[in-house]
Amino acid sequence: MKKLDKRWYGYLGFLVLVLVLPLILTQSYHISILTFAGIYTILTVGLGLLMGYAGQISLGQAAFFGIGAYTSAVLTTQYDLSPWIALIFSLLIPAVLAYIMGHTMSRLSGYYLAMATLAFGIIVHAVLVEWKSVTKGASGLYGIPKLELFGFAFKPGISYYYLTWFFALLVILIALNIIHSRVGRALRSIHGSEIASNAMGVDTGKYKMQVFILSAVFAGLAGFLFTHMNYSINPGSFGLDASILFVTMVVLGGMTSVWGAVLGTILVQLIKLFVQTLGEHFTFITSEFEYVIFGAILMGVVIFMPRGLFPTLVSAWQKRKSDQSTVQENQAA
Amino acid sequence: MSELLQYIVTGLTTGSIYAIVALGFVTIYSVTKVINLAQGEFVMLGGMLMYTLSAAGLPYWIAFFLTIPLVMVFGMLLERIVIRPAKGADALSLIILTIGASIFIRGIASMIWGKTPKKVEPFTSNDPIQFAGASVTPQSLWVMLIMLVVVLGLYFLVEKTVIGKGFQACSANPLAARLLGISPARMSLLSFGLSAAIGALAGMAIAPILYPSFDVGLMLGVKGFSAAIFGGLGSSPGAVIGGLTIGLVESLGAGLIDSGLKDAIAFGVVLLILLIRPSGILGEKSVGKGGL
Repeated sequence: MKKLDKRWYGYLGFLVLVLVLPLILTQSYHISILTFAGIYTILTVGLGLLMGYAGQISLGQAAFFGIGAYTSAVLTTQYDLSPWIALIFSLLIPAVLAYIMGHTMSRLSGYYLAMATLAFGIIVHAVLVEWKSVTKGASGLYGIPKLELFGFAFKPGISYYYLTWFFALLVILIALNIIHSRVGRALRSIHGSEIASNAMGVDTGKYKMQVFILSAVFAGLAGFLFTHMNYSINPGSFGLDASILFVTMVVLGGMTSVWGAVLGTILVQLIKLFVQTLGEHFTFITSEFEYVIFGAILMGVVIFMPRGLFPTLVSAWQKRKSDQSTVQENQAA
Repeated sequence: MSELLQYIVTGLTTGSIYAIVALGFVTIYSVTKVINLAQGEFVMLGGMLMYTLSAAGLPYWIAFFLTIPLVMVFGMLLERIVIRPAKGADALSLIILTIGASIFIRGIASMIWGKTPKKVEPFTSNDPIQFAGASVTPQSLWVMLIMLVVVLGLYFLVEKTVIGKGFQACSANPLAARLLGISPARMSLLSFGLSAAIGALAGMAIAPILYPSFDVGLMLGVKGFSAAIFGGLGSSPGAVIGGLTIGLVESLGAGLIDSGLKDAIAFGVVLLILLIRPSGILGEKSVGKGGL
C-alpha cells in the first residue's frame, strides 16, 4: 500500500509543476513551447509503452499523429463538423489503421518490423501530400477552427496550455495504471523474453496488439490537439523527421518508464529552444545543428546510458539513499 | 511501347543504385548482425567528397579513386567509435544507435556543404544513346556496370579469398573463428570499411544523375535498407533482386500511375512482400549465431 502512495506523490508533484509553470515562464513563446511539449508527451507516452514495455519499435509514429491531425482538420474545415465530434474520428481512425497494421506486422520482429513501420510512415506521408482533393497537398489546410467549450474558445496561450496538459496528465494516468496492472506485467515479460512469456501462458500477440492500438490512439489525440492549436497544417510536420524525433524523446528519457517519456519530451523541447537561442547569436549554428545534437544524444544514450535518463537518475538516487541509510546504521551500531 | 522501355531503363538505373546500397547493408549484416542505418550517409559522403576533391582542382579520376579510401576510413572510424562501444546491444538499440549516427553525420554535412545540391560531371560524355525508341545516358550504363562490378567483386572476395573465409567464419560462429586465429573484431572493422567503399561507389556513380546534397543519403539509405529486407537480410542475390525490383516498381509506378506516389507504391510493395513472406523473398540466410 505504501508503494502505491509514493507513486501518486510523484504524479501530484508533477501536476503542481504543470499548474505553476506558466506563472513563472510568462512569455508567450515559452508557453507555446510548453504546449507543444504537452502534445508530444501524449504521443511519446504511448510510444514509450510500445517500445519499452512491448519491445516493438515504431519508426512511423508520426503517421498516426498526422492521421489524427488531418482527420479533424478535414472534418472541421470541409464538412463543418464540430471539433469535439471530429475528435472521436481522430481517435477511431488511427485505432482501426493500427488494428489492420498490427495484423500484418504481428509476424514481424526486429529489423523487419522497423522496416514495415518505416514504410508505413513514408506511405502515409506521401498520401497526405498527394491526395490533393482532401488534404490540399503540400500547401496544407487552412482555416482550422478553434476548440470551444460552453462558449469559451481555447486560443493558443495559457488556456490551450492547460487544455493540452489536462489531456497529457490524463494519458500519463492511464499509462501508469496500465503498467502497474496485469497487462503491464505481461508486457514487461514480453520485453524480457517473448518466448518465455509465451510459455508461461501470456498471449503475447494480444497484448502487443493492444499496446500498438493504444499508442496509435494517443498519437491521434496528440494530432487532434496539434491541429486545433494551429490555424493551418501541412504534411511537413508528419514526416520521417518527426517520427525519428519522437523516438529520440523516448530513448533520451528512458523507454522503460512512463516518466522517462515525459522527461525526454520536455528535454528535447528545451534543447530545441536552446539551439534557436544559440542560432540568434552565432551564425554558424543553423537549424540543422539540432540534428547534430539529437544524433549525438541518440548515440550517447545507447552507448553510455542504455536505460535512458530517468531510470538511470532514479537508480542513482536510490543507491545514494541506501548508502546513506547503511552509513547511519553503521554509526548507530 | 518506347515509353515503357524508357521507364524500365530508368528503373534499372535507380534499381542498380539501390542494389549497391543494399549490398552494403548485407556486407555488414552478414559479418556482425548489425543493420547500419547510416549506410546512406556513406553514399552521400561519396558524392560530396568527389565534388569537393574535383572542385579543389584534382583531376576527375584521381578524385574518384581518392574518395573511396577516404570514405572507407570514415566507415572504419564509425565502427570503432560508435558501433563497437555498444557491443552486445539488441536490434532495437542498434537501430536507434545507427539512426543517431546517421542524423549526426547529416547535420554536420549540412553545416559543411550547405543545403544546395552539388553538380558533378558524368564519367564520360553524356550524349544519350538511342535504343529502340528509348534514350539511354552513358552514365546509366556506368551505374549498371558498377553494380555488376560490385556484385562480382563481392562474390570473389567472399568466396575466393582468405578475408572472405574470415567473414564467413565470423558470421557462422565468432567464438570458433577466434579459436582458429580469426579476429571477429578485425573482420567487423573490415566489413564496415568494405561497406563504406561500396556506399562511396554508389554515391559517385549516381552523383552525375542525382546531384548530391547533404540529405541525399536519407532516402537512398531507406531504399537500400528496404531492398535488403525485400530480398531477405544477409542474402546478396536477394539484395540485388530487391534493389532492381524496387527501382522498377518505383519508375513504372511514377510513369504509369502518379509520379508523386512513387515512394508510396514502392514501399507498398515492400509491405506486401513482408506480409506474404515475413523474412523477405529469399528468406533470411540463417548463418548461425554470429554477431558482435
